[in-house]
Amino acid sequence: MDLNLSREHEMLRDMVKEFANSELAPRALELDNKGEFFWEQVKRSGQLGLIGVINSKEYGGTAMGHLARMILIEEISRVYPPLGFFHQTGNLLMYAIETFGSDEQKKKYLPALCKGEKVSAFALTEATGGSDPANMQAEATLEGDDYVVNGRKSWITAVDPADVVGFVARTGDKFSAFVVEKGTPGFEVTRREETIGLRSLPVNEFALTNCRLPKENLIGEEGRGLVYALTTIATIGRTGAAGVALGIARGCYEIALKFAKERVLYGKPIAVLQAIQFMLADMNVEIEAAKWLCYSTAWQLDQGKTSRDLAVDIARCKLYAVDVANRCAYKAVDIMGAYGLSPKYRVIGLLRDALELGVAAGSQEVMKITIGATITR
Amino acid sequence: MSNSGEIWVIGEQRRGRLEEVSLELLSKGTALSQSMGVTLSAVLLGDEVEEVARELVFHGAEKIYLLEDARLRYYQSEAYARLLAGVIKEHEPQIVLIGATEIGKELAPRVAAKLRTGLTAYCIDLYVGEVGDAPHLIHVVPGWGGNLVMHIICPQRRPQVVTVKPGVLPKAVRDESRKGKIIKVRPDVRDKDFSRIETVEVVEESPKAKSVESADVVVCGGWGMNALGDFSKVQELADILGGVVAGTRPAMDKGWVDEARMIGQSGKTVSPGLFVSLGASGAMHYTTGFMGSKVVLAVDQNPQAPIFHVADVGIVGDLSEVIPCLIEELKKGA
Amino acid sequence: MGLEILVCIKQVPHPDHFSEIRLDVGSGRIIREGIPAIINPLDRNALEEGLRIKERFSGKVTVISMGPPQAQKALEEALAMGVDRGILLCDMAFAGADTLATANTLFYAIRKLGKFDIIYCGNETVDSGTAQVGPQLAELLDIPQVSSVQEVTFSDEKTLEVKRALEHGYMKVRLKLPALLCVNRDINRTRLPTVQSIMEVAQKEMIIWEARDIEAPPESIGLKGSPTCAVGVYEHKTGRRREVMQGSTEEKVQGAVARLKELGAI
Repeated sequence: MDLNLSREHEMLRDMVKEFANSELAPRALELDNKGEFFWEQVKRSGQLGLIGVINSKEYGGTAMGHLARMILIEEISRVYPPLGFFHQTGNLLMYAIETFGSDEQKKKYLPALCKGEKVSAFALTEATGGSDPANMQAEATLEGDDYVVNGRKSWITAVDPADVVGFVARTGDKFSAFVVEKGTPGFEVTRREETIGLRSLPVNEFALTNCRLPKENLIGEEGRGLVYALTTIATIGRTGAAGVALGIARGCYEIALKFAKERVLYGKPIAVLQAIQFMLADMNVEIEAAKWLCYSTAWQLDQGKTSRDLAVDIARCKLYAVDVANRCAYKAVDIMGAYGLSPKYRVIGLLRDALELGVAAGSQEVMKITIGATITR
Repeated sequence: MSNSGEIWVIGEQRRGRLEEVSLELLSKGTALSQSMGVTLSAVLLGDEVEEVARELVFHGAEKIYLLEDARLRYYQSEAYARLLAGVIKEHEPQIVLIGATEIGKELAPRVAAKLRTGLTAYCIDLYVGEVGDAPHLIHVVPGWGGNLVMHIICPQRRPQVVTVKPGVLPKAVRDESRKGKIIKVRPDVRDKDFSRIETVEVVEESPKAKSVESADVVVCGGWGMNALGDFSKVQELADILGGVVAGTRPAMDKGWVDEARMIGQSGKTVSPGLFVSLGASGAMHYTTGFMGSKVVLAVDQNPQAPIFHVADVGIVGDLSEVIPCLIEELKKGA
Repeated sequence: MGLEILVCIKQVPHPDHFSEIRLDVGSGRIIREGIPAIINPLDRNALEEGLRIKERFSGKVTVISMGPPQAQKALEEALAMGVDRGILLCDMAFAGADTLATANTLFYAIRKLGKFDIIYCGNETVDSGTAQVGPQLAELLDIPQVSSVQEVTFSDEKTLEVKRALEHGYMKVRLKLPALLCVNRDINRTRLPTVQSIMEVAQKEMIIWEARDIEAPPESIGLKGSPTCAVGVYEHKTGRRREVMQGSTEEKVQGAVARLKELGAI
């Protein structure tokens, strides 16, 4: 069993690490405190070929695969989780269109999205509950050659800046997936929600009011929308969230370790104290375990297994990695004492970001439901 | 090592002004020539620079080989290298000392390669020592950013060529009563020397503010100055101490100082009476830049920072507390 | 135009880890195992310049390095930046080389590769920092050379106008190709590899040559070919007093000022 990453994966990690350290790190703290994003970095991500790693070359992607995506999201999130999380959500529609969409849709939307020149969002959740998508209220009715859509989606990442938004709505007694472009009459961003973590990234509510969408905006087959969405969220959303969690966990660990070696109490660095060493040891073990859980899942996706085959693996890695991120962040804050709680230092922001991951791409409990239901079948 | 074969200093002049490093080479050259019992000579290229040649005599050279030509007014890569190699081949000095200036660093390797001889760069000291059972000129160079020091020799090939880091060795003392012989060598300058490469313009500014190299007190800020947001306190401290402001590489990258004030291996080397380091942890490629300082004061918030190993007096603490306190304390004394 | 461009690079230990480099006093050997290695920073500027010239005028960029087997990683990084072909000169016979022997080794390899229009080097390395190999190689190749290059302009196909740094200013130099340029960090901002260029590395040529492949005379390379040699390596004793002040902030500052006065520093 060869556990070595390929040379290309190592090179990718080195490149993203340098990108993160030189271009993201200098502003990470400031942007987190201000709650601002810097969209130039999305374009930069696109230039580096990072956004379209799961899209085919024909449409502007780089087709390097899911393990590559996991690694790059991890390295970005180690320094600046909002951009890592943006990759998570931004890739959702890109995957849906690539996998289920028409040739015209792929040609129309994917190249600009891969380049980072345009950004996308993907909306399933409504006030009725993201964990209960089958009860959604948004509805699309066919009138001639158009669908007329009415509904309201909430807690969706980055709708405000998005050029194109994918969403699911009822069509009759089934569900269908659509694409709507910014500026379409009847499509309006209605709110920005305040979030405690990933503060840089806007989270929005939007409304569709008698919004007319031509048939060309239907993704794939009518009636299959929920299946498409859940497949997409599992394959792309959960693995992406896991990647962000790995990054946050490692970021917290490295900061706490460095601090422990430098902080002197009782005449010695606190790194010599057992209490601190135990906390760092726990972090070390959990991060390593989470890493292999996530990498092996991504690797299996690259081998061609479907998200259905890997339902448990995917739920497992998101569940565990996010828990690990939260525990590591908490320990890091603890180790750093007052510095850990101060917004002048990085760690408290990473803890807040870790909290947000709980409900991303399906809550932690939904992960357990997936695992529990599957193993007891 | 031989008891014939001169020691040569290649003097460097720019626009009729002798570079300070030439004086440093002459002081070392004098010491070596005395201990080895051989003649110390200097070589000078340029146009209408006889006065500069006399300065070389006043600073210790017994003989000057003066190569003058209008076309040699400014440093010309091929012409200078060819002519210098030529005059070395003709007179066979055993040791050649060149200042590791921007020009010296380009000229010396070209000449040494022409002569297929050894060249050691950036020496901080030279002395005759025993290797095996024979005396050799030991070339002392810093390695690995200053963490280690290497001793190098050139056992066989002659001349042995060495470039010396400016600002490290003491300068020779000027003595107008010194007598020396100025030998005018008519350089055989050819058109071909300029057909492939030619210097077309030289622009040098006399630095407006006092340069870091000439100041007696240098106050250097590093990345840790982030805690105070800018360099104003560094300037304030420098003003009270009558010194100049400098910065580390990260400080330069942040825009707080320009390249002329950057201390370190790839920047400036300084040896002031007092060097103050503020908020720099002490990476080797930084500390090598002020190794020659008389007294070093370091302030940093990390007690484990390596800077405290290379300081005489150290203060561990939060920069935003220590620096204002230091400024106040110095104001009291003033 | 189709220029043949060569870039010489060196793999060096990461400068942030220099303080970890230890001297084994017994053997006099420098221990650098376990220290992460990178492409010498200025060599990246050289690679970037080579790639930009290729993009402007079309042509081919070759990267070459003399080093141990692990230097191949540096060459792969160069390929990932977009370089077309990599050559590693790797042989125990090359070891122990000073700058002249290194320049000789590169010279024989270049003789085998053919003619180049421009050769780029980084001005100096972060480890030995001699800045000598570039000028010496140019001398052996009998081509013009400039160090500390900050800017390059093509005035015509065969002529460059180059701006090079002086301590307090600059010099403008005109030179004809073929030429060798040693570049400063001012010359450009280096690119990161992209996912696309990383994936293309596997298709690119990587050659490893030994001494016999480049037909280098044994007396011109390695230890034998080095007029200079190291006879000792020592830890640098700084002789500093290392007096760290104690107490409250005020006490530390007062103590420091008093001590500095005693030492005649203020």
